[in-house]
Amino acid sequence: MMQPKAPNREDLGQTWSYLEAGVEKIMKDLQTGVDMTTYMGVYTAVHNFCTSQKAVNSSPQTLHNSGAVHRGGAVAHLLGEDLYKNLIGYLSKHLTALKDEASGHADEALLALYIRDWDRYTTAAKYINHLFRYLNRHWVKREMDEGKKNIYDVYTLHLVRWRVDLFDHVQKYVMDGVLKLVEKQRNGETIETTMVKSIVDSFVSLGLDESDSSKSTLDVYRQFFEKPFLEATTAYYQMESKQFVAENSVVEYMKKAETRLAEEEGRVQMYLHPDIYGPLMKTCQKVLIQEHAPLLREEFQVLLDNDRQSDLQRMYNLLSRIPDGLEPLRTKFEAHVRRAGTSAVDKIADEGGDNLDPKVYVDALLEVHTQYQHLVNEAFKGEAEFVRSLDNACREFVNRNKVCKSASTKSPELLAKYADSLLRKSAKSAEESDLENKLSAIMTVFKYVEDKDVFQKFYSKMLAKRLVNFTSASDDAETSMIGKLKEACGFEYTNKLQRMFQDMQISKDLNDSYKAWLEGKGESASNGVDFSCQVLGTSFWPLNPPTTPFNIPEVIVQTYTRFVEFYNGKHNGRKLTWLWHLCKGELKASYCKATKTPYTFQVSTYQMAMLLLFNDATKISYEEFEKSTGLSKEYMEPALAVFLKAKVLTISPPGSKIGPGTQYSLNFDFKSKKIRVNLNMAVRAEQKQEVEETHKTIEEDRKLLMQSQSAIVRIMKARKVLKHVVLVQETIGQIKSRFTPKIPDIKKCIDILLEKEYLERLDGERLGIIAPLFWLKLLAKSRHRLLGLRNCCDRRHDDY
Amino acid sequence: MLEDVGEVTEAIPIPNVNENVLKKVIEWCEHHKGDPPAQADDDSDSRKKSSDIDEWDQKFMQVDQEMLFEIILAANYLDIKPLLDVGCKTVANMIKGKSPEEIRKTFNIQNDFTPDEEEQIRRENEWAEDR
Repeated sequence: MMQPKAPNREDLGQTWSYLEAGVEKIMKDLQTGVDMTTYMGVYTAVHNFCTSQKAVNSSPQTLHNSGAVHRGGAVAHLLGEDLYKNLIGYLSKHLTALKDEASGHADEALLALYIRDWDRYTTAAKYINHLFRYLNRHWVKREMDEGKKNIYDVYTLHLVRWRVDLFDHVQKYVMDGVLKLVEKQRNGETIETTMVKSIVDSFVSLGLDESDSSKSTLDVYRQFFEKPFLEATTAYYQMESKQFVAENSVVEYMKKAETRLAEEEGRVQMYLHPDIYGPLMKTCQKVLIQEHAPLLREEFQVLLDNDRQSDLQRMYNLLSRIPDGLEPLRTKFEAHVRRAGTSAVDKIADEGGDNLDPKVYVDALLEVHTQYQHLVNEAFKGEAEFVRSLDNACREFVNRNKVCKSASTKSPELLAKYADSLLRKSAKSAEESDLENKLSAIMTVFKYVEDKDVFQKFYSKMLAKRLVNFTSASDDAETSMIGKLKEACGFEYTNKLQRMFQDMQISKDLNDSYKAWLEGKGESASNGVDFSCQVLGTSFWPLNPPTTPFNIPEVIVQTYTRFVEFYNGKHNGRKLTWLWHLCKGELKASYCKATKTPYTFQVSTYQMAMLLLFNDATKISYEEFEKSTGLSKEYMEPALAVFLKAKVLTISPPGSKIGPGTQYSLNFDFKSKKIRVNLNMAVRAEQKQEVEETHKTIEEDRKLLMQSQSAIVRIMKARKVLKHVVLVQETIGQIKSRFTPKIPDIKKCIDILLEKEYLERLDGERLGIIAPLFWLKLLAKSRHRLLGLRNCCDRRHDDY
Repeated sequence: MLEDVGEVTEAIPIPNVNENVLKKVIEWCEHHKGDPPAQADDDSDSRKKSSDIDEWDQKFMQVDQEMLFEIILAANYLDIKPLLDVGCKTVANMIKGKSPEEIRKTFNIQNDFTPDEEEQIRRENEWAEDR
């Protein structure tokens, strides 16, 4: 191989022309390879030049007397500059030639040329950097150590020159080519994506950190690639979306936007710098979603009306990408659900009229809730804010709808009735798992009910009835429901319900020990009358004492007195109140001619007393009934009506109205398909009255509660700290004038206030007030505002 | 270099180093080839302490002055930093604690200051003298 002779180390001209030949070969003809001799030759020439003695002398910057230094290496740092400058000159010349060549090309041809030149140039730069390593190690390093600016290692110098001598002149045209290419791809054509990727890499490589050349920044890339790229993207999609919206439906547009966004995401992955992901997505979202957001939102109602779940999901996904995109939807959604709920109730209210089936009502509420909960979960990803909108809407239409009309107490009443219908024994008792689901569904509605105390009242009333009448379908289901209520509202709420359950068990044991007691006394247990009873704690059961006088029939007097004797012996000092109106019995009618097996009449105690009179007579007058049973006519007349309707009795004169002056005879020709005849039927009027009473008691309870609570707060405000017992006493003293409060009620009020954190338990017995007044002082800065708040607060207390 | 040129069978020409010196350099490299690679910014301690030369290296550097400088130059040319360090430390040890006159003698440097010049420099650098 022909090899130029190694240059004279002290001659710059000779050295440089030797080096230039080597560099030129690497720059232009690298593919044929570099042989060892050339490689070492160039390296040695650089080394030799930098360490030459002659150069020391010729260098004008030498200040020291040359004789003082024995070896040239000590001032070698002064000797690289000439090589460095020559290298710059060479690179500029080379790059200018490349630039001139590039100016004859455009678009893809230009890109191809740029990439080819870039690859070649950077590869060569790596080689040359290595060959000039001695320059880097000594001259460049010292220059940089001394803090000189604009001195780079040889590789970086290549990049800097590229940027100055080529890039600044051609980048605009290169970018034009890139953008055209990308636009082509956006239009559906296939392009050479590696080209774009190479350009991106090249732009990124040119980002040099001025303060530290070993690091790179994205500045160049951001300015010359990202910025125009985003601008072009904005322009492209503005144009496209405007046109698309004009020609297509909103739903179609959403699909299009979704596709476009996914495409752009893929574009980043495929050939763009990951750094552009955020800005590009933001740009696309702004153009594709933000600018069309009002249009999309307009469509929201239409989609809701038509229940287009997948389109709603699409809209959610799009609008969730932009800031505050969803807020208007939530408001619309809430209003829509409310309307849906209200109109569902309207419909059944019209159909059901006054005797609305609780099941139909609850089902209607549930159906709306289920439908939109499903929508929230599926289309809106169960997002918390939408869940809240749904809850708000549900609370509205559960408590305020056509059925509720004036008062919101109708919803809890119907809900409790529905629960009763599920839990009561009936022909079509639900399957266990099904029942559990339905109870859970009740809890869903319950959650929205505002007047939970109303539900509690009705529920406990009906639970009492189920227990007293043994009509509960399943203990497990009852326990499960109470458990759910407890979970939702706390111990206090279900305390009574639980106690009712316990009383039932205690009563069972009591009956057993009563029987044992009787046997111990040697008396027959039956005495012609089978007897059992439940003894229930007055304060836990929503049962009222009878409102009519009643003469206990002769036949059961003995049983009655014996039990009273037994019970008083067991629990001295307890008062037994007999709830005759809830009692019932069975009578065997052995007088009927029509059948050999006697009929069994299931009757209430009052009815029993009336029928028992026929043991001594066959015809009894209205007045006699009244006298013997002692019943008021509100109870007697409906009972008679039932007997007449069932044809157990006949009235005379026939066809007359029940009332004074009428006579009643036993119907010996009584006939029935069943052996057991149930005559113990509640009369509708009674039921309605009961409902009204319940509502009334609720109101009274509330009033009492409020009065007691406000009294307690007043006392505590004055006294600050009080013992529990003293507080109870003082409260009674304060409100005695208005009504006589029960001690348990007062205690309950104190508990409620503790729970609401109006009061606090200090040590053991003592209670303190955490009046909002105290922390208000901490909260409000201005005295003025504090006073305002304080007034509000005081008023709130006094309202109780 | 090999990564640039690729594996080649032809000999690598090393024009600046003569046979004897290259032999010494190779001997040193053979001995140290198992050394852990130096950390990038190991400027701090051991590299700077001139006394810190291991025993083998001390013995290795017991050569005539001409050879010592040739080795240092070769290490610089061939970019063998640890060897360059050892060489320079050895020279530093030779200078340590000597008066200028002694140093001139050691390295065979001719004093070309006039007595006046010398006096002036001495005065200028008085502050640095160890008294």
